[in-house]
Amino acid sequence: MSQEIAVVGSPEFTTGFRLAGVRKCENVPEEQKDEQLDDAVQTTLEDDDVGIVVMHDDDMDHLSRQVRESVEGSVEPVLVTLGGGAGSGGLREQIKRAIGIDLMEED
Amino acid sequence: MAEDVKPTRKNLMAIEDRIELSERGHDTLEQKRDGLIMEFMDILDQAQDIRSKLDEDYDTAQEKINMARAMEGDVAVRGAAAALKEHPEITTQSKNIMGVVVPQIESSRVKKSLDQRGYGLLGSSARIDEAADAYEELLETIILAAEVETAMKKMLEEIETTKRRVNALEFKLLPDLHENKEYIEQKLEEQEREEIFRLKKIKAKKEEEEEEEAEKAEAEAATAD
Repeated sequence: MSQEIAVVGSPEFTTGFRLAGVRKCENVPEEQKDEQLDDAVQTTLEDDDVGIVVMHDDDMDHLSRQVRESVEGSVEPVLVTLGGGAGSGGLREQIKRAIGIDLMEED
Repeated sequence: MAEDVKPTRKNLMAIEDRIELSERGHDTLEQKRDGLIMEFMDILDQAQDIRSKLDEDYDTAQEKINMARAMEGDVAVRGAAAALKEHPEITTQSKNIMGVVVPQIESSRVKKSLDQRGYGLLGSSARIDEAADAYEELLETIILAAEVETAMKKMLEEIETTKRRVNALEFKLLPDLHENKEYIEQKLEEQEREEIFRLKKIKAKKEEEEEEEAEKAEAEAATAD
């Protein structure tokens, strides 16, 4: 089954992706992120046609704990965060928990 | 826990069988956990390379789109973005690494030529094309990152489950089984000792009775004479 890429974030963040052909964009203006970002992410997660969700790492702080946990742990669709460096998107914490040591420590 | 089992030979044999099975399972799970961690380490190196490329690509793409916005104006960039007709698609296939099903993502129509973009050659400038190019490149790296990070997440889940199972066997099930075995062995030894003591008592009593009978018989023989 073919799926699409979805982008969630401010209009400035999504415009570039629309230029590359991404059509599933959830635009949430900067000042309304605290109220609307949770719903936008949830709608994207529930969409069966979406295989990858792209978000900016800073936007993760606007999400409620529940939505953040579900999006970070989600495998289908999988979340890719940009601008957060290595180990963003909860991966670093998960590695620490499963392996016991912080393998993503920046040198 | 140990008081719950009946101290019988049958139970002892059953517990010994369970201990053997649990120890075998523990060894196998330990090997699986170590194998998974080794596979994970390979993927981790790959993931770190992709992550740094992703950050680089994102910075370049942002630089390019900011330049296009500054030179052509936001409206022109948004207009070009709205005109796109071809959409990138991804198809997912699966691969099995030590029992963990990880996805293999294939993409199509990510990189597009100028005429495939649909916003026309005359209506846009080279800067918008450059920005679109940079974002297409970024999307390709995102798809790679998604594949590797999903594999990592799934493997981490499996490592966690396996680790929990190994620990449960090592620190809960096996100690309990050994405790039960010891309890039954001690009880059986105690029963054996009691049995020997009882037999000795019976033997002594019988010998006493025999002696008494012999004495009586001797006394009877003496009076008869």
